[in-house]
Formats: sequence, C-alpha cells, structure tokens
Amino acid sequence: MSDDLVCVGGISGSYGVHGELRVKSFCAEPEAIETYSPLTREDGSDSFHLSIIRPVKNGFVVRIAEVATKEAADALKGTQLFARREQLPSLPDDEYYYSDLVGLTVSDTGGTVLGTVKTVQNHGAADLLEVLLPSSSATVLIPFTMAAIPTVDLESGRIVADPPEGLF
Amino acid sequence: MGRSVWKGPFVDSYVLKKAEVSRESGRNEVIKIWSRRSTILPQFVGLTFGVYNGHKHIPVNVTEEMIGQKFGEYSPTRTYYGHAADKKAKRK
Repeated sequence: MSDDLVCVGGISGSYGVHGELRVKSFCAEPEAIETYSPLTREDGSDSFHLSIIRPVKNGFVVRIAEVATKEAADALKGTQLFARREQLPSLPDDEYYYSDLVGLTVSDTGGTVLGTVKTVQNHGAADLLEVLLPSSSATVLIPFTMAAIPTVDLESGRIVADPPEGLF
Repeated sequence: MGRSVWKGPFVDSYVLKKAEVSRESGRNEVIKIWSRRSTILPQFVGLTFGVYNGHKHIPVNVTEEMIGQKFGEYSPTRTYYGHAADKKAKRK
C-alpha cells in the first residue's frame, strides 16, 4: 500500500438489483466517507465516485457512479476503499491522524531509538502509542500526552518520548 | 441494586497506598495495579496507572472526567483496534 493512501472503508457486497452497494465505513464519523470521494483501490487503480443513499445496519447503501448493474456490484465485494492522504482535512496543532503517526521512529530525549509506532489506540483515557521495540516482537504503550511525548516531527518521521518510569 | 451510599466508593487499599506514595515522591511513574474493580477517586487525578488487563498493564492517565468510574473500564481485555482511517489523536 502506498503511504499516501488511507483505508477509509470497504465494500460488503451488492444491495438490491439496481447496482447499489453496501459499504462499511471505517471513518471516525462514518458519513465522512462520502466527502473523501473519489476513492480508489489499494494499488491506486480505479476511481469510485460514491454517494450515500441511506444508512443500514453496519454501513451505508451507496451508489457508485461507475457501477450500474448488480453483476458489477457483486464483482466489487470485498474491495477496500482508499482515500488519498491530501483529501483528509488539515488539523490544528497537537492533533494528528493515526495514519500519520504509524511508522514513525520513537527515540528518547537522549537520542536512543526506542522503537517504531505500530498502532495508535484509545481505550477511553488518553490516546496511546503502541511502540514496537527494535529486534523484538514486544510492544510498549506510551500515553500520547505533552509530558510523555514532548515532540512529534512528522517531516523527519521522528517522535521524541520521555516515557514515565516503569514503562520500558 | 447499586452499592449503598454509606459505604463510600470501593477502592483496594493497596491502590490508595501506592497512589499516596507516588504523589508524595512527585516522580513521573506508572503505578502498576491489578485492581480493575477499584473506583477512581479525586486524589488520583494527574497520576498514571498501569491497569492490568490479564496480559499487560495499560497506561491510564487519570483526568477529572474519570472520577467515579472503575479502572477496568479503561483497560479492555479483548483486542480490537479497528482501522486508523481518519481517526485523530490529540496530545493533551
């Protein structure tokens, strides 16, 4: 997958007999998937202009301009839908997209590399960076707070962490 | 039926002790606890607890909004991350 593509949803299958589709949205606000249209496949091929018709259980019924028949809709079942990173709205300072943080190198204040960001999680308290330790499959969770993560430099792909005692 | 008011909120005593020691030392540390059933009290605000989920300790930064909840609510025992998509993380 290209770095500038972000997975925002998936096609669950066809809906009805008129070429409509059932789409599952992975967005924070599910309806936002429509605003990122046109969407592409994982390899950047094809272009899907998507418009939401109505919500259904676990997703939306949508019409894709390029899909006119049920057979064409059936053929797209299982396709993941990707938006280009530049289609996402810009964010204020100290707010970051999960997809931007994943893959960044985490180092401590002394410059020692601690690992790379594997996932970003939120269990109801502060956001957490799951850091994959180098040459290991073990991970450590660091709170995404000003105290624990004083610097996030997206351009150089680096995060400076000052983790609380007892995490590493 | 809910817990009787006269008893006050339930907190395991070792959690209170650990929190007290950490607050007095003023160190920036994760307080490892196994007590998911303990209630979050006002004196825990600002501290970071590592709440055990049966596998590892999940860091939980206690804020005012969390008072009255249980620690276990912030440390899920099942793994489901979902997709990153356009989700945003805010540094607090």
